[in-house]
Amino acid sequence: MLLYALWLLPLFGGVLLWAFGPQLRSWAGPIGAALIGVGFAVAVALWNDATAPGGLHAGLVTWLPGWSFGLQLDRLSLIWSLIITGVGFLIHVYSIGYMDGDRAFARFFAYMNFFVFAMMTLVLSDNVIGLLVGWGLVGLASYFLIGFWFEKPSAVAAARKAFVMNVVGDVGIMFAVFLIVARIGSIGYADIFAHFASAFTPATLFLVCLGLFIGCAAKSAQVPLHTWLPDAMEGPTPVSALIHAATMVTAGVYLIARFAPLWSASADARELVGAIGGLTALSGAILGCAQWDIKRILAYSTMSQIGYMIMGVGIGAYDAGVFHFFTHAFFKAQLFLTAGIVIHALANEQDVRRMGGLRKQMPFAFVAMLAGVLAICGVPGFSGFFSKDAVIYGALESGHPWLYAVGVVTAGITAYYMFRLLFVTFFGAYRGNVDPSDLGIRHPELAGTAASSGHHAEEEEPHHHAPAWLMTVPVGILIVPTVAIGWLDAGPNGYWKQFFAGFFPRANDVAVAVPISDLLSSGLVLLVVAIGFAIAYLRYGAPAVLRDAVARLRTETVRMPAVLVNAYYFDAAYDALLVRPARALGGWFDRFVDPHVIDAGVREVGITSQWLGHLFRSFQTGLVRAYALSIAFGVLCIAAYYAYAFAFTGSGR
Amino acid sequence: MIAFWILAVLMIASAVFTVSAKKPVYSVIGLLANFVCLAGMYLELQAEFLAVIQIVVYSGAILILFVFVIALLSSGVRPFDVGPDRAPRILIPASILAGLTLIAITATVVRTPSALAKVPVGTTGEANAFGSVGDFGVALFTTNLLPFEVTAFILMVAVIGVVLIAGDDDAVTGSRRKPRRPGKREPIVKDRVA
Amino acid sequence: MSIAPEYYIVLSAVLFSIGVVGVIARRNPLIMLMSIELLFNAANLALVTYARVWANNAGHVFAFLVITVAAAEAAIGLAIVAVTFRRTPFVDVDEVSALRG
Repeated sequence: MLLYALWLLPLFGGVLLWAFGPQLRSWAGPIGAALIGVGFAVAVALWNDATAPGGLHAGLVTWLPGWSFGLQLDRLSLIWSLIITGVGFLIHVYSIGYMDGDRAFARFFAYMNFFVFAMMTLVLSDNVIGLLVGWGLVGLASYFLIGFWFEKPSAVAAARKAFVMNVVGDVGIMFAVFLIVARIGSIGYADIFAHFASAFTPATLFLVCLGLFIGCAAKSAQVPLHTWLPDAMEGPTPVSALIHAATMVTAGVYLIARFAPLWSASADARELVGAIGGLTALSGAILGCAQWDIKRILAYSTMSQIGYMIMGVGIGAYDAGVFHFFTHAFFKAQLFLTAGIVIHALANEQDVRRMGGLRKQMPFAFVAMLAGVLAICGVPGFSGFFSKDAVIYGALESGHPWLYAVGVVTAGITAYYMFRLLFVTFFGAYRGNVDPSDLGIRHPELAGTAASSGHHAEEEEPHHHAPAWLMTVPVGILIVPTVAIGWLDAGPNGYWKQFFAGFFPRANDVAVAVPISDLLSSGLVLLVVAIGFAIAYLRYGAPAVLRDAVARLRTETVRMPAVLVNAYYFDAAYDALLVRPARALGGWFDRFVDPHVIDAGVREVGITSQWLGHLFRSFQTGLVRAYALSIAFGVLCIAAYYAYAFAFTGSGR
Repeated sequence: MIAFWILAVLMIASAVFTVSAKKPVYSVIGLLANFVCLAGMYLELQAEFLAVIQIVVYSGAILILFVFVIALLSSGVRPFDVGPDRAPRILIPASILAGLTLIAITATVVRTPSALAKVPVGTTGEANAFGSVGDFGVALFTTNLLPFEVTAFILMVAVIGVVLIAGDDDAVTGSRRKPRRPGKREPIVKDRVA
Repeated sequence: MSIAPEYYIVLSAVLFSIGVVGVIARRNPLIMLMSIELLFNAANLALVTYARVWANNAGHVFAFLVITVAAAEAAIGLAIVAVTFRRTPFVDVDEVSALRG
């Protein structure tokens, strides 16, 4: 019963706020947030039931034999549900403050609630069709929310780009679902996991995993389907925090973890997933070093961290990958919300080159950001340390030394660009009054400065400020897990490992003998992190550097390699290969097919009936004699019939 | 037998003459000849009553009707003028059609031969011999009474129709006088028969 | 010696064909009506022939009805001709083409 409530309350909220938004006005925010908070409470209340063996099940409808839809809450779904509702609740509260004064205040919360409902559909389904439905719905919610300020053309384009790339992923999952249904004949997870070993050939298994992974790659912004995520930052910051950091982009991780039995049985699939995850982690980190927009830096860092998660679940270290998701949700949401506080305070300035010295003006934001940065770098004691090291060491444990190296190097680069962000934003002198061209900003609108971001409230309505605590309290609450929650997995018998003990099937290939212990590995990672910190300090944080900040920033902007600025030219490649031909085809249809084929067909119908009319009209001469002639012809026909019947074919009747 | 052939030739000749004569009066004469020969044919086929009817009704009534209408239309000493021929050379397809029809009918009948039934040839005046008045009367008034009555009805309809179509515009028939204006009383007929 | 009925039928067919040609190829309405009378008579001849072949009176009765109907039809047809061509200069059916489409 409560399980149904957990699933449907956000939908109720979404519909209510969408239908009565104009009437509810500023009540929409508290209502939306309260519903999600109730959802969190429900999830907590269901803890015992969910952690029992077998989890909690609630049926919905059985359509065909083998096609029964229902909800389930087991340990995996429970973790995701708690994050979605818990972090979601905090972000909703934050949004009441952030979106205050926006014209479409109620619509925002309607969409956010709808998103939570869609995400719950995804994680609570006990069948692969429900997963697919939820998958599509979160893509839709993402489209709504990225393009929330739809008067901005860049936002609309970004929303469309995100949706189209997600559809590519949907196709992959659909093929996998088709194969599953064709071979196994059922859609429920229980049936699939029970029968796939006998029903799938190894080739089929790989194809199914491949199809599922294409969906993951699109949804979780893995290479090569990652280009939508930086553009998705056009949406409001709470959206970026909830959807593009904590929950939606991690749906791919959930999918792989959910289908762990399949992945454990196919070594090829795991190699593929691990490789893509590692590649994404590395390339995302490198690109993060080249960004100047605070949200884009965080977007690339998200891409990179999800690469870690995918790598983790891909190589078989499921609980490590899921744990990294768990900690990442907290610190990434907190980083985004803090960035939102900064942006809000600086009147929608997003370019870090125009920030600086905010440590003194906004101490709370500085402390929060510092906590998040320490967590994401994996500094010992903070939450990221435990989860990231678990993933990296898991790569070594499962016999992937190259992925181990990638993980370690990426950790160093992560440290570099995150501390770069911290130094450039919070240290030195405030550069907001400096002329943009002195800083090397050539196209202010592309760099996300105040001229272009979409907060419309200032122009439209009298600006009444919401109390600041609405934004700072959620951030403050989030600092706690950012710092501390990693201790859940401390030690070889950490609570987390016990929580998922026996839940995920181990991979077939046995762990190889590891050359170094995990303690040594952590030390190695820490060393690399320290190196990254040192380089960042020398380039951005040293007192000599800070005095000269403007010139140095300009130099760096000018000298940034074009490859990095254009994000490895992925966008250009997609544009040339896919977008332009599609546009050309559409143009050809418009110029040629539409007027000359379709319209011509329609015209021809009219012309033909006119021609037939002319033809028949030619018989109507008005002459009696002509009519008499045709009557005589009829007589001939009758006579001929009788002649034929009687004379030439023997005696007729 | 000779009678048949003579009559047949005369019939065909008169028919051709009827169809191709220049003046309608000539056509009427040709038609008259045709009807008389046809009556002869009927006698050959022992349809005595019908032969007489043919002469009386067809030649005697219908042809006279034709003559009257010709007279009516040519009153004013106006020859029968004709306008421009709007369907020239229609004779060709017409004759082709007619010829084909002829061939079809001939082929049908020639290949399904039948013989005349043996019918007692009654002496003249015997009451109910085949084709005689009495025989025909019995058939008409007993077996085919309903068609007979319907025929009477048809004739009545024909008369009414002719009167309506070609009637005069005077007070007696009343079909074409001007409609009464409202408020004006119809004048009382002044003429009385003394 | 009696004549085979086929001869009568062929004669009837010949008269019928002549009548058809007359209806189509002449423009004077009166002559058209007379050709139509020829058609009726051709049919009557066939009817009477077969009445003789099967010694059945029905053929005679039918021929009688045909004569009656032909009389009625000739009367009405002539009335129509009289009315239609009362005031026209040409007595020509080609002029009566108001139904031209």
